[in-house]
Amino acid sequence: MFLIIIALLPLTLVSCAPWGTQSAGGWSGTAVHDGTVYVGTRDGRVVAINSSTENLEWSYSIAPATALTSGLACSPSTVSAAIYTTPIISGDLVYIGTYSGQIHALTIDRGVERWVYPRIGSIGAIVGNLVATNETIYISSSDGMVYALDTTYGDPKWDTEPLADKLWTSPTVGDDTLYVSTFDGHIYALSLETGGLLDWSFESEAGFASSPVVYEDTIFLGSFDRHLYAIKMGSDVLEWRFPEKPADNWFWASPVVDKGIVYAGCLDGKLYAIEADTGRERWSYLTEDQNGKPSPIVSSPVLTDNLLIVVNESGTVYVFNLGAELGNDAVPLKIISIGAAVRSSFCAQEGLVYIRGEDNWTYAVDINEGEISWKLDLTKKEE
Amino acid sequence: MSFGEVWNLIIANPILNVLVALTNLLGGSFGLAIISLTIIVRLVSWPLTKRQLKSSKAMQDMQPKIQELQKKYGKNKPKLQQEMMKLYKEAGINPLGCLWPMLIQFPIWIALYQSIMSALATTPENLLNLAQRLYSWEIVSQAIPLSSQFLGLDLGQTALEAGGLGLLLAIIVGGTMWIQQKMTAAPSVDPRQASTQRMMTLMMPLMFGFFTLMFPSGLALYWAVSNIIGIITQYFVTGGWGYLKFRSPFSQH
Repeated sequence: MFLIIIALLPLTLVSCAPWGTQSAGGWSGTAVHDGTVYVGTRDGRVVAINSSTENLEWSYSIAPATALTSGLACSPSTVSAAIYTTPIISGDLVYIGTYSGQIHALTIDRGVERWVYPRIGSIGAIVGNLVATNETIYISSSDGMVYALDTTYGDPKWDTEPLADKLWTSPTVGDDTLYVSTFDGHIYALSLETGGLLDWSFESEAGFASSPVVYEDTIFLGSFDRHLYAIKMGSDVLEWRFPEKPADNWFWASPVVDKGIVYAGCLDGKLYAIEADTGRERWSYLTEDQNGKPSPIVSSPVLTDNLLIVVNESGTVYVFNLGAELGNDAVPLKIISIGAAVRSSFCAQEGLVYIRGEDNWTYAVDINEGEISWKLDLTKKEE
Repeated sequence: MSFGEVWNLIIANPILNVLVALTNLLGGSFGLAIISLTIIVRLVSWPLTKRQLKSSKAMQDMQPKIQELQKKYGKNKPKLQQEMMKLYKEAGINPLGCLWPMLIQFPIWIALYQSIMSALATTPENLLNLAQRLYSWEIVSQAIPLSSQFLGLDLGQTALEAGGLGLLLAIIVGGTMWIQQKMTAAPSVDPRQASTQRMMTLMMPLMFGFFTLMFPSGLALYWAVSNIIGIITQYFVTGGWGYLKFRSPFSQH
């Protein structure tokens, strides 16, 4: 019996240990629309915050579609109501995909559920952000399939065969085409209308870590081989790969492109500015945590009013002036710390950057004043 | 440095990176990588295993003497214990020596459990955390992300989720453990001791069969291969099936 106990204890303890593996908690980011901030919380709710009054307007709880609890109680095999997708707003509805494999459409004014897809059961876990265009919402799922739904009623328009083991990246719309990147190193081009695979696809030896970004006729995305790739649409040949020697970690976050420059954050803590045509580095900047150590950039940078905003995992916000003279654009205008870890995507409007911290607070950072304007505890329910 | 950081630095990260590198070397098969790692672990712990097997063989040879002592001092437990310890000491055997190879394997089991969950990135957090735990070896970065499929099993899923194949794996883990235990467990003359021993020989395989259903199949694969290697080495080192007796259904007794 002694042997059994000593064999059982370490395994049981380790599956619950904080330094062991991590269960699905979600990293939903913020979206802002007409002065209201929408965000998914770590306890499976979507909330709307009035940015002026700094109050919670409404909260909507998502119940897990299938609470699979095989394995030990605290093992990561438990499917929770975690939310990884950032809410998107189209018309009078806000949409969110859940790790339990459902898409919820809620009214933006009161958070009342308009529809849920699928109406019964669930699809694979949704991790990549949803995309809405032309009254259609596009979803990539952990079952490897891409789904297209009608935005008004949630009726299915089409779905694909599995394109990969799982899809955790977000699809991207470019012209009449939907581009999907996979962990096994493929980029697929799908018809927006039918979901059918188009003639062109791209295959790489390394898997793609980030969602594709379309700029003019080129797709930019990060890879697990610690490079950023540029691929001309319709071409089988790689346009360029940055840097020449692999970076110190993955390009996890999707880059942003502005005026011919690609801004890419890397998990090695560096922000790179790369010429979109040539793949040549313009400048790079090492972001750090409070102790001066490099801190990974997990969230995609955001562009607003000629400003580039970058937030690293340690919760430090960097603001770069892209209108500055060449050379000075690599020097941050402002560096502000929110004091909480950040893994979610964030948004900015009218001088405020809205960030959801891993501590489950939402922070509004005033980039002009260089300080936190307000913050709200997302664990608090409506008053 | 916290305990978790030290643990990751010294045990968990090396095992994780070796697993990922092996996966790349073995054509992207995570299952083959686990089997190879099991063989490596068995090779590294071979000096301890050899000592354990030798001690087991010596105990096997001493059985007539032990049975004699049990008959002689059966009713006087303290005296029996004393005489048996004396006998072990004279023969240079540590009766608890067989525990060490098992105890040494615990950190490996724990690290392997974490590595499997981390390497297979069963949750998005695990995939992101993996980035900070991988070495900058090309052989490692080329292998990411890993495929969890092996012989029809999803190595990141529990055997319970895997259905029939998972159940088969649980039976293999329990069965091989039972064989291994039967090979080493010396029968006792004392009826109470014999009963405890019978229960232990049955309970351990049952418990591990149960663990197999609850933990990722990748860990169960490690247990199964480790047990099979254990049986083979035991067979060759101790020169046979030990205390495991195969009775023919046609025999008279």
